Amino acid sequence: MKSEILKDCLNVSHNARSMLLILVVLAAVIIPTTSGIEGYIFICAFLCSRMIVTTFVFDDTSKWTRYAMTTPISKRDLVAGKFVVLVIFCTVGSLFGMAVGAIVGAVLKAVSFDPVGIGELLLLTLTAWVISLIFGSISIPLVFKFGAEKGRALLLVSFLIPAAIGFVLYRLLVLLGVEITDQLIFVLLCCSPVIAFLWCCAMYQISCRIFARQEL
Amino acid sequence: MDAILQVENLSKQYPGFKLDNVSFSIPKGTIMGLIGENGAGKSTTINAILDLIRKDGGTVTFWGQELSQSKQLKEDIGVVFDGINFYDTLTPVKVGKISAAAYKQWDEYLYQDYLKRFQLPADKEIKTLSKGMKMKLCIAVALSHKPKLLILDEATSGLDPVKRDDILDVFLEFVQDEEHSILMSSHITTDLEKVADYITFIHQGKVFFCKTKDELRYHYGIIRCGAALFSQIDKTEILAYRKDDYQWNVLVADKEKAKRKYKNAVVDDATIDDILLMYVKGEQSK
Repeated sequence: MKSEILKDCLNVSHNARSMLLILVVLAAVIIPTTSGIEGYIFICAFLCSRMIVTTFVFDDTSKWTRYAMTTPISKRDLVAGKFVVLVIFCTVGSLFGMAVGAIVGAVLKAVSFDPVGIGELLLLTLTAWVISLIFGSISIPLVFKFGAEKGRALLLVSFLIPAAIGFVLYRLLVLLGVEITDQLIFVLLCCSPVIAFLWCCAMYQISCRIFARQEL
Repeated sequence: MDAILQVENLSKQYPGFKLDNVSFSIPKGTIMGLIGENGAGKSTTINAILDLIRKDGGTVTFWGQELSQSKQLKEDIGVVFDGINFYDTLTPVKVGKISAAAYKQWDEYLYQDYLKRFQLPADKEIKTLSKGMKMKLCIAVALSHKPKLLILDEATSGLDPVKRDDILDVFLEFVQDEEHSILMSSHITTDLEKVADYITFIHQGKVFFCKTKDELRYHYGIIRCGAALFSQIDKTEILAYRKDDYQWNVLVADKEKAKRKYKNAVVDDATIDDILLMYVKGEQSK
């Protein structure tokens, strides 16, 4: 699995400069607007999480997967490697967004560095990380099933599925008479890494099943 | 005979194609050449051997064990396909790092040695390398985790004769200790004539024969004759025949016997190419 992670990171590192440029331009465009730092952190995390699909494109181009299966790695290891790489991408994206957001925010005096301000920033970063991880992890089984090119086209599906599940859960809570308070939202946010982990486990199992049936 | 790889009754069916009970084995210290026309089933055989496709039937064992039984087996098998499987923007140094993470047996010094020997630039991106250099890089990777068996699927195709010759020398060196073996599929039968000990000929998904190269080279022959003599040839001696404009070409398994028996006929040596062509394009005696 280590070789898979290293291979993806090295492959993608070639695109790092152009990604950095995009994120810097976006910082100049987004942070001064009303959506400001929050929007920027989310976009950074999201864009970086999408790079997981790019790793599949690289694999397809070089017919890597077929070769990888001749090395001492199992199909489950290969799938697990993709999820670890996704976690790395989401972490780098959200931390980068937070760092740049904080610096530009400080310059524009749009962020306060008291405990409450820092807490809000960290909570935002965590939320961006969780959401990008959930969206990104749906892409993995989709790409295993339909291939990198079709998987890219199915980007919308990876938005719609969690959005639909979130909406249904929200309606269910309303129907059950559960009041959505700030405290409840805070608790949900604190639990969100666990939710993301469970979600990734489910996506991992689905990906493994799809990949296990494939001939290379 | 200690077999490194044993393939028994390997079968795989696709719409319009069937790999039909393919069997052969590779003894220690030998090179097995897999020949056959395009679509004959060479790559399907290799894919099934490597567990890349599901077998419909049959068994494949390496040192007596199935590939799915032990991860360690893959440490001892080096594989080279017909193209490089590392992305274009990687360099040989990065390829080495990835491979080192994949194989416990990876020997970085050996890899560096091969890079030097093959004159591969360590820091140049793969996309800037020639096809020959890319193949050499693949072979360097395959050899640097110290495998005992190399599986090569058309690994030398597309290389010029000089580069092919360099690589064939490396293969001969690899099997010299009598512990290592190579299975190589190739369209370039002259390569196999140079290095192979055994030839397995696959035609329409079936193994036509699996023989030592020397048997093919020293015993097989082609009788060139006219219609009159052709009609006199014992049909049980004919493996395959083909009619050119004014001449019959007849493949026989014992050219010396043919020379003695048909004194008026010209009996030529048969190359592996000749044998393959006679079987594929000619007709077989009933």
